[in-house]
Amino acid sequence: MRLKQEQQPNQVFLNVVLYIGSFLLLWEWLRPLDQITDTGNVLIFILYMSFCFFLTYMQIQWWITFPLKLLGLLFILDGLFFQEQFLSASWFQHLLFDIQYNFSVMSEQQWWEMTALFRSMLFLILLWLMSYLLYYWFVIAKRTLFFVLLTFIYLTVVDTFTVYDAKYAIIRTFLISMIILGLTNFQRILIKEKIFRIPKGNYIAWVLPLIAIVLFSSVVGFAAPKYSPQWPDPVPFLKSTAENAGGGSGTGSGIKKVGYGENDERLGGAFVQDETVVFRAQVEDAQYWKIETKDVYTGKGWVRSGERPFAESDDGTIEFNDIADTVETEPQQATINFNNEELLPKLVYPYGLSQINLNGESPYQYSYSQDTGEIYPKLGNERVQMGSYEVSYDQPVYSLKVLREGSVDDPSVIQERYTQLPETLPQRVKDLAAEITADENNRYDKTKAVEGFFKSPDFQYSTTDVPVPDDNEDYVDQFLFESHLGYCDNFSTSMVVLLRSVDIPARWVKGFGAGEIVERNPTEGNTYEITNSNAHSWVEVYFPDAGWVPFEPTKGFYNPVDFTSGQSLEDLLNNQEEEDIPVSEMEEEPNDPAEEEEQGGSASFTIPWDVLLIVGLVLLAISGLLYWKRFTWMYWLKRRQFHKKNDVETYLKSYQFLLSLLNKKGIKREDDQTLREYARTVDRKLQSSEMGRLTYYYERILYRDDTDTSQWNKMRQLWENLINRVKY
Amino acid sequence: MTQQTFIYHEKADQLLRNIQKVIIGKEEVTKLSIVALLAQGHVLLEDVPGVGKTMLVRALAKSLNCEFKRIQFTPDLLPSDVTGVSIYNPKELQFEFRPGPILGNIVLADEINRTSPKTQSALLEGMEEKNITVDGMAVPLKKPFFVMATQNPIEYEGTYPLPEAQLDRFLLKLNMGYPTYQEEIEMLNRTSHSHPIDSIEPIMDQEQLVGLQQEVDQVLVNTSIQRYIVEIVSGTRNHPHVYLGASPRGSIALMKAAKAYAFLHNRDYVVPDDVKYLAPFVLSHRIITTSESRFEDKDEKAIVEEVLAQTKVPIDRG
Repeated sequence: MRLKQEQQPNQVFLNVVLYIGSFLLLWEWLRPLDQITDTGNVLIFILYMSFCFFLTYMQIQWWITFPLKLLGLLFILDGLFFQEQFLSASWFQHLLFDIQYNFSVMSEQQWWEMTALFRSMLFLILLWLMSYLLYYWFVIAKRTLFFVLLTFIYLTVVDTFTVYDAKYAIIRTFLISMIILGLTNFQRILIKEKIFRIPKGNYIAWVLPLIAIVLFSSVVGFAAPKYSPQWPDPVPFLKSTAENAGGGSGTGSGIKKVGYGENDERLGGAFVQDETVVFRAQVEDAQYWKIETKDVYTGKGWVRSGERPFAESDDGTIEFNDIADTVETEPQQATINFNNEELLPKLVYPYGLSQINLNGESPYQYSYSQDTGEIYPKLGNERVQMGSYEVSYDQPVYSLKVLREGSVDDPSVIQERYTQLPETLPQRVKDLAAEITADENNRYDKTKAVEGFFKSPDFQYSTTDVPVPDDNEDYVDQFLFESHLGYCDNFSTSMVVLLRSVDIPARWVKGFGAGEIVERNPTEGNTYEITNSNAHSWVEVYFPDAGWVPFEPTKGFYNPVDFTSGQSLEDLLNNQEEEDIPVSEMEEEPNDPAEEEEQGGSASFTIPWDVLLIVGLVLLAISGLLYWKRFTWMYWLKRRQFHKKNDVETYLKSYQFLLSLLNKKGIKREDDQTLREYARTVDRKLQSSEMGRLTYYYERILYRDDTDTSQWNKMRQLWENLINRVKY
Repeated sequence: MTQQTFIYHEKADQLLRNIQKVIIGKEEVTKLSIVALLAQGHVLLEDVPGVGKTMLVRALAKSLNCEFKRIQFTPDLLPSDVTGVSIYNPKELQFEFRPGPILGNIVLADEINRTSPKTQSALLEGMEEKNITVDGMAVPLKKPFFVMATQNPIEYEGTYPLPEAQLDRFLLKLNMGYPTYQEEIEMLNRTSHSHPIDSIEPIMDQEQLVGLQQEVDQVLVNTSIQRYIVEIVSGTRNHPHVYLGASPRGSIALMKAAKAYAFLHNRDYVVPDDVKYLAPFVLSHRIITTSESRFEDKDEKAIVEEVLAQTKVPIDRG
């Protein structure tokens, strides 16, 4: 290329302008990033990009530019992510470790787990490569139209489907691309006409009108009155189609991230897993980590009824009345340590909580609601977040005998409040509830029947493809009768609604599941790790003689609360049945990262751009690879064809394939070269005679309209010989 | 090199070898002369005296068992010296036509640019029309009829350059050039006792030659080749250094020559190589260059080569 530039001294100016134009176009690609993705520091990327562009343009020897660019890349990474001394041993160790980690994550296809460091590095490398690619496209090959078109398509798509407003970006891009296209054309004409020297004034004479026309047309285009769109906006249609394609029938929310959230007014929709650790708990047994309950089902999700009275506690003593005094309990201790980046405003606690302890003098007060189970830690009058604390709790052990045979006279407050159902609830839900519980004669068995109903194979656990109900659709009704597909919110809400339909007081509980044991310690208690993916919801049913008892309808989950048989043999048998299930499910659980989320209830449409970007890059890489290796797979294709068919057309195509293969392998045919001349060159270079013979045959077909196929097998042999010779 | 390229047509090959007994080296000129002969065209040789032009024509004539005539053009030569003249025969009391040298089979027109345009055109018209008019009487020329004209390079003094329209009538313009060192020594060896022209035998007769010429007509020219020819010829018209490009007659000439060349190589179809090879010989005397090209020291051949370099060779259908 340096040579080329020396031959065309006057093109340097044009090349610089073209290359700057390509830089500006690429910039347009980066501009939307801070709005549509979580990319920060776009400016740094742009600076790096200009650095790379500059170095590439200079055309210095690669062994100078390569280390420079690499150093720049590492320097940026250092500034963004590292605390260690730049280029120190520990610095490299950190980087190496991060890369290793990301490769393992990628091999498990957990794209969302990739670290920001690694993604930034990939992105910088991409920019680096783009500087080469654009240099090749714009300065050497003079092929600019493709990238210009791509830029326009990118901008229109981003403008249509994201918050980014490309109004001015389009105008900028138009200006740049029109000038680029004009200049490329100018250059092409110069090359075609073999003009190497242009008087200086003529440049201006050529370039000025171009710029004037582009500016004029942009201004006119911008200022001129425009028709409003003639077609109906296709975007809502596309979006709804895209969602319905998942099998659900609803509209609304897209994919969310899993985790504990406050708002449950509108449930449903898919979410992505997030394995970030929220807290670790040192505790003897697996526990439900409860946060709060909700009582009013709206048909779409959960809200709370009215004001709730808060009790205050200065010493950490908490008095919930969830467990009746008659229930057997076992005093226990648990230590909870939160991940400092995942603090929650409310405390998580096990069933039977009695006391919150902090080491030493506690400055905290607590306000808590006996109705909803929420506990807010406070400092003074300010609600705060607590990072670690200990809890004392009396772990309940419920007697099945009591549950079965106990009274069902609920206090009227409870009866009224916890059998609420929306008026819009379809009748078929109530009918279904009656049908499920028809054979049972006590509250516990009815509850178990409903719980068991969800374990049937009709229902599937899934965190993706979960629909959001339409405005006129009921969340529970949709799950029970249409989708049969969902996660804990679907299962638990449906169970509460079914129970309430047969007048059993029930409420909806939120919190975290038991999590995963990361450290076993029989004396001091196992350590459980609870991640965002463990966010969970389940059901509490009211028994006058036992209080609020938790049940677990969600497939693949088990109820960590203990039940004892009471006395009867029948109970014993039932109990065993029940314990069988937990064991098997307990083993399943670690394999099944089946947890759920409860946030972002409003119907916000978010597309996982990171994932799309990666998928796009992978597709690009694959198509690049296919293109790069095109001769290999095309050879197999052509060879098969050649073997199967022996008509003239096939021969012509096979020969032409050979021409392009040879061309790619560096034996280039000039346009003015005849086939014989070319064949001679090829045969001389490869020390073969095949090309001449193949060419002779090809010429006969082409210039003599020969249809003779008697030499077919021989020709095929020659063809294959030659290709094999070229390939290696 | 592939074998096919060098298998000549049997008869043409014999002819070539026969001539080479007399003319040492100069295979290209000999070959192209045979091409012109087969294509029923004529050849203009531009070269200095003494390089073997006459010998080439004589060898050709002798090999073909044809009547050989020679016209030495001088400034005072009259048209009737070329065409022949009617002379009154007092014995029979009528005019009697005495045929001129143009009425031979193979005519060597030596130093054609030494004579006046009037006399030149007497020859050139005959070449095109295949007959001449003497005293209002049309006299058909013989068949086969082949003219090999020679001219001195234009810069020589006392020359009348041939008009463009007449140059057009030569199928090929060739340069003989000096023999190589080795060839010249070989030439001395052969001519030391007796001239080899005396010892060569005819290869074929006139009828056979006419038969070959008819076969040449049957050679196939694919449409893609025709397009290639037209593109080259029109390329000479668009070249910036050409004042006047080749005429459509140039296209016809190029096609005819290509057919003969293909036939010579034992092919019944024309390939682009034929056209590409012949184009400088067929087209260079049909274009007039601008003065710029002379400043840049580009001759017509170089310009035709440039045109060829810019013309795409058809390598697929359509």
